[in-house]
Amino acid sequence: MEKVGAVLVIGGGIAGMQASMDLADSGYKVYLAESTMSIGGVMSQLDKTFPTNDCAICILAPKLVATGRHENITLLINTNVEKIEGEAGNFSVEFKQKTLLIDQEKCTGCGVCAQECPVEAIDFFNEGLSNRSAISVKFPQAVPLVFSINQDICIGCGFCKAVCKANAVDYTLEDKITKLNVGAIIIAPGFDEYDPSPTEHYGYGKYLNVVTSIQFERILSASGPHSGLILRPSDGIIPKKIAFIQCVGSRDKTHGAEYCSSVCCMYTAKEAVIAKEHMDIVHPTIFSMDIRACGKDFDKYIERAQQEYGVRYIRSRISTIKEIPESKDLRLYYESEDGKVVEEIFNLVVLAVGAQPHHSTKELAEKLNIELNEYNFCQTKPFSPIETTKEGIYVCGMFSEPKDIPETVVEASAAAGATNILLSDVRNTLITEKELPKEIDISGEPPRIGVFICHCGINIGGVVDVPEVVEYASKLPDVIHAERNLYTCSADTQTNIKEKIKEHNLNRVIVASCTPRTHEPLFQATIREAGLNKYLFDLANIRDQCSWVHMHEPEKATDKAKDLVRMAIAKARKLVPLQEQEVEVIHKGMVIGGGVAGMTAALNLANQGFEVFLVEKDDKLGGFSRNIYQTIEGYDVQDFLKNLIQKINEHKLINVFLSAKINSIEGYVCNFTTNISYGKDKQSKEFRHGIIILATGAHEYKPKEGEYLFIQDKRVILQSELEKILFTDEEKIKQLNSLTMIQCVGSRNEEHPYCSRMCCSEAIKNALKAKEINPNLNIVVLYRDIRTYGFKERYYNLAREKGIVFIRFKEDKIPEIRKENGSLALYINRPDIGEIEIKTDLIALSAGIIADGEANEGLAKMLKVPINDDKFFLEAHVKLRPSDFATDGIFLCGTARGTATISESVAQALSASSRATTILSKEILITEGVISRVDPALCIGCNRCAEVCNYGAVGVKYEEGKMVSEVNPLLCKGCGDCAAECPAEAITMSHFGRVQIEPMIAEAARTEFENGRPRLIAFLCNWCSYAGADLAGVSRYQYPPNVRTIRVMCSGGIPKSFILQAFLEGADGVFIGGCHIGDCHYIAGNHDTLRRTNEIESKLESLGINPERFMRKWVSASEGKIFSETITEFTNKIKKLGPIELDYKKKNQKKE
Amino acid sequence: MIITEQKDIEEIYEMIKPYSKILVAGCDGCCQPPRSINEAKVLAQMLELKARSEGKELKWKAITVLRQCDDRIVATTVRPFIEEFDVIVSLSCGLGVVMMNKVFPNILTFPAQNSKFGGAENNAENQFVEYCETCGECLLGVTGGVCPMAGCAKNLSNGPCGGTVGGKCEVGGYTHDCAWVKIWERLKKFNRLDLFTQYRPPRNYRLWSSPRFKEINKTYTNVEESNKEEKQ
Repeated sequence: MEKVGAVLVIGGGIAGMQASMDLADSGYKVYLAESTMSIGGVMSQLDKTFPTNDCAICILAPKLVATGRHENITLLINTNVEKIEGEAGNFSVEFKQKTLLIDQEKCTGCGVCAQECPVEAIDFFNEGLSNRSAISVKFPQAVPLVFSINQDICIGCGFCKAVCKANAVDYTLEDKITKLNVGAIIIAPGFDEYDPSPTEHYGYGKYLNVVTSIQFERILSASGPHSGLILRPSDGIIPKKIAFIQCVGSRDKTHGAEYCSSVCCMYTAKEAVIAKEHMDIVHPTIFSMDIRACGKDFDKYIERAQQEYGVRYIRSRISTIKEIPESKDLRLYYESEDGKVVEEIFNLVVLAVGAQPHHSTKELAEKLNIELNEYNFCQTKPFSPIETTKEGIYVCGMFSEPKDIPETVVEASAAAGATNILLSDVRNTLITEKELPKEIDISGEPPRIGVFICHCGINIGGVVDVPEVVEYASKLPDVIHAERNLYTCSADTQTNIKEKIKEHNLNRVIVASCTPRTHEPLFQATIREAGLNKYLFDLANIRDQCSWVHMHEPEKATDKAKDLVRMAIAKARKLVPLQEQEVEVIHKGMVIGGGVAGMTAALNLANQGFEVFLVEKDDKLGGFSRNIYQTIEGYDVQDFLKNLIQKINEHKLINVFLSAKINSIEGYVCNFTTNISYGKDKQSKEFRHGIIILATGAHEYKPKEGEYLFIQDKRVILQSELEKILFTDEEKIKQLNSLTMIQCVGSRNEEHPYCSRMCCSEAIKNALKAKEINPNLNIVVLYRDIRTYGFKERYYNLAREKGIVFIRFKEDKIPEIRKENGSLALYINRPDIGEIEIKTDLIALSAGIIADGEANEGLAKMLKVPINDDKFFLEAHVKLRPSDFATDGIFLCGTARGTATISESVAQALSASSRATTILSKEILITEGVISRVDPALCIGCNRCAEVCNYGAVGVKYEEGKMVSEVNPLLCKGCGDCAAECPAEAITMSHFGRVQIEPMIAEAARTEFENGRPRLIAFLCNWCSYAGADLAGVSRYQYPPNVRTIRVMCSGGIPKSFILQAFLEGADGVFIGGCHIGDCHYIAGNHDTLRRTNEIESKLESLGINPERFMRKWVSASEGKIFSETITEFTNKIKKLGPIELDYKKKNQKKE
Repeated sequence: MIITEQKDIEEIYEMIKPYSKILVAGCDGCCQPPRSINEAKVLAQMLELKARSEGKELKWKAITVLRQCDDRIVATTVRPFIEEFDVIVSLSCGLGVVMMNKVFPNILTFPAQNSKFGGAENNAENQFVEYCETCGECLLGVTGGVCPMAGCAKNLSNGPCGGTVGGKCEVGGYTHDCAWVKIWERLKKFNRLDLFTQYRPPRNYRLWSSPRFKEINKTYTNVEESNKEEKQ
């Protein structure tokens, strides 16, 4: 059967999107089928994400847009799979798209229909907490931005059809059946939250003030029903005391499910912290069982929640909640640490609901002919966590086991990695490349600008006098042509723009319409098709940041639109064509570390036909897994390892170097050169490769001598030593009467403040094995929290059923070990029971996993990648880029990143190799056009650029004998931070540089107002604040029309002189908006914003300018309301201060 | 590197107050933090704003000089501009300010900075540190590379004194390291405590007193010429 180079991804959540992007970037055609109206999944509903408190929509929105825009991805929304036939390599799939009653091609997403819709139906996105119309989008940042009509509630009034200027509403449209052939299928349907209504003892659905955690997430969200205010449902009063109840529907066989949902402990901590951040008067209390904070930096987060935010943790499972009828408050009973029953009253109760299999999974499994496990999740095996029981169908995300976002993203890439092997020989067969005309050389020509102004139906035209703006624009210098369109983004206007470019010989194009964040690529593609370099385009945002936010002041909005167009023209005059460089890719990879992760990654790449250099510092392959005999599920690790090593050794494309030491790594993505010495005789070898996968692993903590009598007494051994005995010397176990395990040895303490993640399951696995060998053995496990997340909970239950005793101790009261008459005894002090004495024959210490600090530091320096406080490598983004480094072309997997089980390491390895394949599969890599450039003649070699660059993309090349800075176009992300920092102005940020922005500032400050000023100039970063301003527009949050916004990529790219220039040119107030600290799209550019603006702000007073005229605020992409409030407040403040000339005069009068 | 610190904007403004056309000159030399064209422009913009609030108009131009301490570079770079301006504001160390005043005797050059010391970067501590005091009689060879002149508050040649507690110096309230403890640690590491116990004679403070001069060896302009002469 012939293989097909296309892949079907079912489910458009974060997993589906990641898998689609990876595959589309690796040369496959991808069909992404999503059953709702937009991709984005549950993550789009979240307010913040743990453990970084990143704003969810800020980090997700760029990914949504990138997925929607990718030329190899076809989005099928409102679509379900009907039938699947065929085998791995060639499946034929039948879909059904439920009709939207709106033509997807014609709908521009302008939203007039939704405003006119008289039916207020329930808003599912806000979890039933607010209303929306019968015709709607899923959420403001939805991709694709297409409206649909909910036929269940539509009353058929016909208003929407009447108001739709794009003629997109069509009530006659019917459901559509499509058939496709694909080579592989990835399923990522996600999960459903547990519905706690059946759990009557919590009163959900009966008591108004009992909400689920996802409802609370919407309450917290700035774009949620109360715009971020915490108000309780019964009476809209701020709940001062909030109780969070953990494990609702998880770890509970009678209500919900037996397994642990893995994420609730962390999201509850996050919700408590964010609630406290939003409103200080809130006092959160969390009722939990074990706190399962077993991810990277999770324990630190819990610690901070308690110490910094005063979140109270009470270890108790709540059995009932009673409502007090008069106040609607809720009465809870719980058992305190010392065993007493306590009654406490709370104003709001949040149920931390667990994850359940998605409602569609049963049906889907039947259609796909794949097996489900006993919990109705997808059946997988530990050594192949992304394979279903049917070949060619892969699974990722919550569908295989409850897990958090980074693990989901890892699995999504891993599923793509597995697909890569299956389909690598039909790569690039189904993707299409557009043929483009040769670029017109415009060098030396004076600017000839064409301006296209959009009515956007009535969205702009209903407020702004568009003909007047056209008239105004046509009279501005260098403008050759100006016209208006009903919809500038419609297909016919694209043809029109191309014709006008030819007709008038235009060499710059401006569109005044909506936001560049969604529409710039479309217009750039249009002018490119007409032969113009795509960077000769600029967009004036006269909808989201003008007509929508000044709806009641049409004249002022018109004036503002004129200013915005004039500013765009000022910028356009200075635009230059930018060339994207092409770099040849070396189709080879280096994998550092020959453990399970490294070998899996190497094998994946080699199986796709890429040569791999596998470098291992030890004299044999296998890594730490050599000490593990069995997984908790009972799978043989040694057998798996032997198999893997054999495959590695036999593979022709894998070069293994043992006892190897890396001497140097030079170069960058596509073209690295590495020098190693290896083997007994220290042979030297140099090779070139395109990517690097870091899989250096970690090792077991070795307790200090005397820690729990370790080394001093032979009966105190490590868990790994016990495992060896269990699997090789059963007799020894049979002779024992009692065995005690101590958890968290070398974990979660001051020296190693993190959880090692696997020790709990290791201990339970070994305890069960010991019990199997010797059923009469008394086993006691001393623990702090049992962290058997996901399905591992089953084995914790099993262990207790088998009579294994678990006794908890607290961090400050660790078990005391004593040797009495030659026998060992442990003592634990518990406030509720008193002192417990445990006599034991053998003690197994569950030692944690620690990173090899020195080796990792060395490698980190060599590769210029970061490591965290615990000496593990730090990925590019803890949530969404878990397998990448910020530096392109370097990836990581396994325990180099943080503690992980074998199964997780395998997934991470496949993920890293999939990420690497997105580079290796290309013949050439095309660099970004918008990057920084250095003029070597001006560079003074001070290297300040390297200090502010977070990507290692710029810096003085001392080693090559040059004393000037150089930008690596492959690594530069185009934030402009270095250009703002450069003391010699030797670095220019292209497209958003001084040359383009300074004229914009001058034009913005030329604004005249009829009845007084103020004139405000706002610099907004593209990813957060500009997006927030757009959201204010989408949500129609009005603010005064005095502000003129200038978009920059990063607020870190704003040099000090911009602010001073704005004041000098006559601005009455200057505003800078950036991402929240920690949320920066460019890792930490806003730290530099903070430093520069602080410096200017501190000097304004002495310059005679009231410092209140300057404002810096972090506004995230979800804070539309906050943006509008901030601008309103700022405008009013400046209004009171009056024009800036007053400041100058005041100073003069004082002097006199 | 010469570690500098920009003066308060008021102080700079007071100096240039009587004038209405100023040339602001950055320095691309060793001045740290670097004060090139960007800083010159920002300073000029601030001075213009300041002037405005005093009810005055200020004309300015911002330039930068490769090294303001080099008279020839200063002459060639700055000369084309000076006629249009009343005064010059220099963003270099004191050397640059003096040199500008010398090269252009008919126009006043004002300092925009305070020159602190000759220092180097300690990135780990995020500081510039005075590691050498240019005393004229280098001791680093017998002190394991740690300078007791720059590092010891009392400039002791034979330390440590009784003011060291736990490796910290009493001057400054036990916050700074005692240089002599550091010296001992370094020498011990290399098993050269013999150097530590040696007696070091008192310093010749005359070498250290201002003004200091040194002849430039101007006999030969380059090595080839000197070789030629030797042969003859």
